[in-house]
Amino acid sequence: MGLQFFINAILLGGLYALMGLGFSLQWGISGIINLAYGAMVVLGSYLSLVLFNTLRIDPFISLIFTGTILFFLGAFVYRFSLQPLLKGGIVFTLIITFAIRLIIENIILLVWSADYRTIRVGYAGSSIQAFNTFIPLTKFLTFIIAGILVYLTYLFMMNTKIGKGIQAVALDKEGALAVGVDDQRMYMINFAVGTALAGITGSLWASIYSFSPHVIGVIIAKVFIIAILGGLGNIWGAAAGGILLGFAETSGATLLGSQWQEAIGLVIMVMVLLFRPHGLIGRKFFG
Amino acid sequence: MNITEKKINMNKTIILILALILLFILLPRFISGYYVRIFTAIFMYATIAQGFNLMSGYMGYLPFGNVMFFGIGAYVTAIFMGKGFSFVCALLLAALAAVLTSIILGFPVLRLRGHYFAIATIGMNGAIMSVVQNTTEITGGAMGTTLPIIPRAPGIVYNYFYLAMFTLMVVTTMVMYLVIHSKFGYAVRSIKANEEAANSMGINTTYTKITAWAITALFTSIAGALYGYWMSFIAPEEVFDVMISVNTIVMMLIGGAGTILGPIIGAFIIETVSEFAWSGFMEYHLAALGIATIIIVFFVPRGVIGSLGSMIRNKKMALPKKVGESNG
Repeated sequence: MGLQFFINAILLGGLYALMGLGFSLQWGISGIINLAYGAMVVLGSYLSLVLFNTLRIDPFISLIFTGTILFFLGAFVYRFSLQPLLKGGIVFTLIITFAIRLIIENIILLVWSADYRTIRVGYAGSSIQAFNTFIPLTKFLTFIIAGILVYLTYLFMMNTKIGKGIQAVALDKEGALAVGVDDQRMYMINFAVGTALAGITGSLWASIYSFSPHVIGVIIAKVFIIAILGGLGNIWGAAAGGILLGFAETSGATLLGSQWQEAIGLVIMVMVLLFRPHGLIGRKFFG
Repeated sequence: MNITEKKINMNKTIILILALILLFILLPRFISGYYVRIFTAIFMYATIAQGFNLMSGYMGYLPFGNVMFFGIGAYVTAIFMGKGFSFVCALLLAALAAVLTSIILGFPVLRLRGHYFAIATIGMNGAIMSVVQNTTEITGGAMGTTLPIIPRAPGIVYNYFYLAMFTLMVVTTMVMYLVIHSKFGYAVRSIKANEEAANSMGINTTYTKITAWAITALFTSIAGALYGYWMSFIAPEEVFDVMISVNTIVMMLIGGAGTILGPIIGAFIIETVSEFAWSGFMEYHLAALGIATIIIVFFVPRGVIGSLGSMIRNKKMALPKKVGESNG
């Protein structure tokens, strides 16, 4: 325990914050529970792997490419499979996104097989040592980049015209339509931004952990917990939810053993749903 | 349509259904073991889909984690049969465990609506699966556990399970029919239409919702118990797989949500498609299933029964209009 425990939890939480943010935006603003989110994250990891193996591009740089590719994939998926079925309600979006997950999972299995893969960059073993603690360099970089990206997303939502449009649609759809905001376009861009964040998370994940199609299920469970802890569509809420899950998992692993990690997260999620359905941060939209 | 005509129609329907039941009872004599297995799976999914239909098609709640009752049914049966209980005894205990779980969890969870309810049930399913995986002394842990094998020829045993699953499906469907056409069934449907209004009209919505969920849990857990005994090996990741929920929801949608026969028709269609995907595109079967699902959801969004109904209605509507035009 002590300082090292604190640092481990924060470093884990940083990645979780970014991971949950995209999912939270998609659910809270576009109203789509994206069951394909885990598959999109892992797809980002594999794209990073390809770029690393062929062109020797570092995952911390290839995240620009994975983010861009996944942005367009998200826009495509929203426009051609989700938007036509929005009227059908929650059941249809769940089924469609699950079908998309199956397709992506199958592509990954066919191209890269079910084996666990890793990206080992040259500096993977190096670390920072200070105050009797031990910080792996890759995890530190991941944390910094995740923090920057969460802040950039916040700036995008607050300061650009499109970001303000997305917020307007999220707050009051009829009102936004009345002042000339194209709601479907905003939903699409928001969904695509969420997918891009998934791809970037995948690149960061690949630089620290190993990945395979089995990771898809693990990630989808985590993003649910993060999004619900923080409150849907809330940027700082998702960040707080990520850090909180990092702490819950790290302390759970220390106190009860790592096999209970997932159960702890799920129980916390159900508790939050029951007692604070708008998340721990407590405001429905942007704070 | 006058009353006698309606009665004749009803008699016709009953005779048709009885004939179908007889056909399916005799069917295993004429088909190979492979098809017996597929049909047994179809009946199992149809039973689970009936549970989803009551909760979602009629009541408007989407219990995504309903597969937890399936898992509980399979595991409680396995644990008690391992202790030397007979199958019927273990099955009753399993059903009891599932119903109690649904009632205890139902009080807090059924207060949630829409997305939140769906996600809370997924979370509970995950938590129960985690408990099963980690209490290795009782459940056998993540590696799974075995159930006793019936000491008979496999062909005979598979016919037993075919008949058992078929009976379960028929009984479930009949119970659902009775439930939906009772006073309680009207309460269930009023919750879908408008829960606040139902409440203010004097319907005890909490009681209605929990009872509906308990009925669902009962049949889903019996299906799980039969599945465990049929397979004689179960693992947590297999019987608590959310994929089972997704599959049955798709079946319910395709057959027609909120219709009695919809889930059965859906189970037939989806199981056939997925068997075809397995045997036809071994390596692509996940993608084939995904693409088939998207296509079906796009083109038959109201389910087979709903679409057929509206087609027939349109024809009936169109005919008098033409006559009217020629007259005028």
